[in-house]
Order: sequence, then C-alpha cells, then structure tokens
Amino acid sequence: MYNSEVRGRLIEGDKSFAQISREITAPINDKTPIWWYIAFLISLVMFGIGGHAIYTTLTVGIGSWGVNNSTAWGWAIINFVWWIGIGHAGTAFSIFLLILRQKWRTAINRAAEAMTVVAVFCASLFPLMHMGRPWLFFFIFPYPNTRGPLWVNFNSPLFWDFVAISAYLLISASFWYFGMVPDFATIRDTTKSKIKKAVYGFLSFGWTGSSREWLRYEGLSFVLGGIAAVLVVSVHSIVSTDFAVSVEAGWHTTIFPPYFVVGAIFSGFAMVLTLVVLMRVLYKLNDFVTDSHIDAVCRVLIFISLIMGTAYMTEIFVAWYSGSEYEFYMFFKNRIFGDYAPQFWAMFISNAIVPQLFWFKTARRNMWIVFIISIIINIGMWFERFNIVTTSLSRDYLPSSWVSYSPTWTEVGFFIGTLGMFAAGVLLFFRFIPIIAISEIKSVAKFDKQIKNNVKHTGHE
Amino acid sequence: MNKDYILGVFNDEHDLVEAFGKVKEKGILPEEVYTPYPIHEILEGMGKKTFITHAAFFYGVFAALGILGFLTYAAVFSWPLRYGGKPFNAFPSFIVVTIVATILSITLLTLFTFSARAKIFPGKVPQIMHDRATDDKFVMVLDKKKIGEKEDWVKEVITKHGVIE
Repeated sequence: MYNSEVRGRLIEGDKSFAQISREITAPINDKTPIWWYIAFLISLVMFGIGGHAIYTTLTVGIGSWGVNNSTAWGWAIINFVWWIGIGHAGTAFSIFLLILRQKWRTAINRAAEAMTVVAVFCASLFPLMHMGRPWLFFFIFPYPNTRGPLWVNFNSPLFWDFVAISAYLLISASFWYFGMVPDFATIRDTTKSKIKKAVYGFLSFGWTGSSREWLRYEGLSFVLGGIAAVLVVSVHSIVSTDFAVSVEAGWHTTIFPPYFVVGAIFSGFAMVLTLVVLMRVLYKLNDFVTDSHIDAVCRVLIFISLIMGTAYMTEIFVAWYSGSEYEFYMFFKNRIFGDYAPQFWAMFISNAIVPQLFWFKTARRNMWIVFIISIIINIGMWFERFNIVTTSLSRDYLPSSWVSYSPTWTEVGFFIGTLGMFAAGVLLFFRFIPIIAISEIKSVAKFDKQIKNNVKHTGHE
Repeated sequence: MNKDYILGVFNDEHDLVEAFGKVKEKGILPEEVYTPYPIHEILEGMGKKTFITHAAFFYGVFAALGILGFLTYAAVFSWPLRYGGKPFNAFPSFIVVTIVATILSITLLTLFTFSARAKIFPGKVPQIMHDRATDDKFVMVLDKKKIGEKEDWVKEVITKHGVIE
C-alpha cells in the first residue's frame, strides 16, 4: 500500500490498544477537575437566563420581542440559522470525510457529532418559540384531524423546514448514538466502578464485538453514511428556501442554497475547531488530536473561506449586473455603504479575509491563533445571518414601512440561554462520553505502524 | 478455562488474521471472533453475509412511494386547496418532503433491522467470552466438538501467534 507522509502520524507515541482505551476514557474515570464545575455552573446560569426569557415569551407573548410588522423575523431566525449551520459540521465531518476515506476524521468525528446534536436541539427551540403558541406546535404535523381533515401546505418551505429539522435531529442523534455503542462496551469492560459498569452496560445494548455484530454494524454505517450525505446538502438548502422563495430584495436569489450549505459547513468547521482545541488543551489529548489534525481542519477552512468570499462577491456583482434598483439599493446603499455597513464589513472581514491567515504555517501551528480565528469565524457567521435577515426586512419596497429593529432583553436572553445549553451539553459530553471514537481510532492505529511492520515481514519471508 | 471451547487470544490484528487463515485452510471455522474494531479479513472469512444494504434500498423505495402517495392523496383527493394558483397536484413541491422523509424512514427502519439482526437492543445481557475483547485483545473462539482430533494442531497454531485461555 502506498503511504504518503503528507498528513503526519494519526496517533503520536506508539500506544498499545489498552493505553488508547485508558487515555480516552480517562476523563470519565478520573476525578472531575475544578474548572469543569466552574464552567458547568456558568453555563447553568446562562441556561437560567434563557429559561427566564422563554418564560417571558410564553406568558407575555411575542410582543416581548423587538420584532414588528416589517421585521417579522429577528434574532430568533438569525440564531436558528446560526445554530443549524453549526450543527451541520458534525454530519459533514463524519460523512464527507468517511466517503473520502480520510483517516484523520476518527479523532474528531465524535466531538463533531456531539456538537451537531446539541446545536440542532438549540436551533429547534427558536422556531418553536416564535410560533407564539408553542403548545400547539403539533398543528404542523400532517395528521388526520377534526378540522376537515385540513392538511398542512406541502408547498411551503416552512413545512419543508420543519420536516428537515426534525428528521435531521433524529438522524444525527441515532447516528451519533450507534457510533458510541462499541465504546460504551469498552467502558463497561474496563471500568472498575460498579455503577459505571451497570450504566454503560445498559447503554452498550449488549455489545460484545463479535464478527456478526461488526458485520452488520459496518453495513449500518455504510447505509447511514450514504444517505446522511444527502441530508447535509438538503437541510440547509431547505433553510435557504425559507428566504429565497420570498420576493424580498437580497433574498430572492438562486445562489442561496449552495451559499447557505457552504456557510453552514464553514461555521460548523470553525466550531469544531474551537471545541477540538479546547478538548486538546483541557484534557491533554495532544497525542490523538495532533498538530496535523488541527492543520488539516485549518486548510479546509482556507478553502471554504475562499468559497464564502466568492459567494459574497457574486451577490454584489449580480446586484449591480441585474439592473434591479431594489437589489442595487439593498447591497450598495444599505449593506456596503449604508446603515448596516459595520455589520456587513464585520461579516466580510471575519469570513473572507481573516481565515486567509491560515495560509501561514505559524498561524496553523499556534493554538492561540487557531482558537481566536475560529471564534472570529463564528462571530462573522452570526453577522452574515444578521445581514441577510435584518437588512432585507427593515428596508423593503415601501419606504413608508421602513423600520429599525433592535432586540429586546428577552431575545438576547434567549440566545444566551441556548449558548448556555450548548456549553452545558458539551461539558456533559466531555465528562460522560468517550470524546474520541475509541474503536475507530484503534482501527487506524495500524497505519502508523505499517512501515515498520512491512520491513519486519519481508525479513521473515 | 472453558470446557467446550478453545479461546485463542491474540495481541494484534495481524496475528489473529494469520492464525485465522491457517485454521480456516484446514476447514475449521471458528465459532465466533471477537475484536475491538471491525477487521475485513475476519468478516469475509467468517462467511456470513449481511443484506442490510439491500433491505435499506427497499425501505427507501417503499417509503418514497408511500410518502409521495400520501402527499398526493392529502393535497389532491382528501381536501384540495388552491395555493397561489398552483394546481392541486403541485408535484415538484412534494419532492423535498419526499426525499427528507424517505431518508428518515430508511434510517429508522435500518436501525431497527440492525438491532433485530445483530441482537443489539436496550436491556440485553451480553455473553462475554473474554472481557478484554472490547479493549485490546483479539479473541477467536473454537468449538472443541467440531474440531475433533485436530485439537492439538489447532492449539499449536494458536500458541505460535498468541495464547490459549
């Protein structure tokens, strides 16, 4: 087999299989560090703020938000799209890199999938609350009802979106869980604590690692991987149609589906990078998440950032070239040089320019720079959604209905709440679930040893 | 250790595959092989086949037809409504929901199939042959009755690559 040295080693420091199990399950078996409790407390406080915001929304109604007739979609939809975008990377990571046979994904995919599940859950809260009467949310299901039966509108992207998001949540959660079953069995068989043995024993569904199980497991991951790849592209395309099918300047463009999908993968990869850098530093997993892993994600980000830049330039070009005065106004007089110029340039610089620093090896190798750039991208992607939602809605075709929009504390608190929920989810994941896919990392361990083994075996024969 | 079975325990994939190949050449098929991660030589060598991918394909075909049929029934026959001048059967609009709901159906049905066929389900009590097979050992289980008089030869092969437990 041809071995290229482009990627570097997958696992540093010739580890035995037992050592791999032990080191990855260490955060579960060892004493929980103090910083974990502090961080968890902070995220619970943030979660509490969000809880209060949700309580206000439920009892007062949407009137407690800053949205109005013209800007009917405010922070709620911005944050929804932002979270869904972040959630995308988990599937993108697992699926695309699985299809491309990239072995370095094994160290990162578990964290990415965990992030997906939590992020999609955070995202789904926003449309739910924006309904105003969320306890009637089941009205969106096309179920035989006593109102006719009057069915939902199957032509509406909002219904497509509901189907897409709920399917995505279910699928990514089951994909994540079944990936963990063999690892739960490893914990069951290696732990000394009786409680852990019982709990992880239950979670492992009786897994033993027999060839019958692995055979079907491989078949299952092949099927799930293959069809979830379609999902990565479809979910955010559907989210983009929420915007693109409405006749609104700045939204009504055919570039939206690919633009949203790429943007989602971009923000998701940035969030993966944030998480992985934290994971590596806090739990000292440098041997598994090596410099070359971080390097690979950074390189992917350069490429996606260039696509983002191209998409922004295309939109601006078409706004001028189309000759539509509304489009021209929206891009040139409202976004680039207008009232929303700071937000536009924050988006443009953070997403298209700052990530280009990754061309330099020193930037890719310095964890502080990597961490800061990944945060900047996350903020930049938030501003992208702000740009799309707020600039178009607040300045529509009729100047008499132009309004300004600013969020109330309820909306801000709701967002803080989801940030807290995400942080709490990630912290629980760090604490109770193997943060790296143990069985998968073991299966790629041999590729580091191959060169050495080849020499030994030719000697025998 | 075990009266009816011989447990060959190996330290890595390479040793297991070699011993497995030698035993198989003599026409002896191990009862079961337990490994920390899937090994393709073993999965093929054990001679079992899985039709889970075929099943998934048929789930997909039936789910897609069913969902498209339901959407058409609801929008055209059950309670037709005019939306923005579109015909009742606004077929292209149904494609998106059909694709996504089909993927969801395939995922759930394939998961249940996996659970039923591989016998992996909540509350199952595992029959653990070797408690390090999910950690760092590669375990081959042979039935003494089926081996018959070749037992000594098999033991020799195993000890050459690993240990007997």
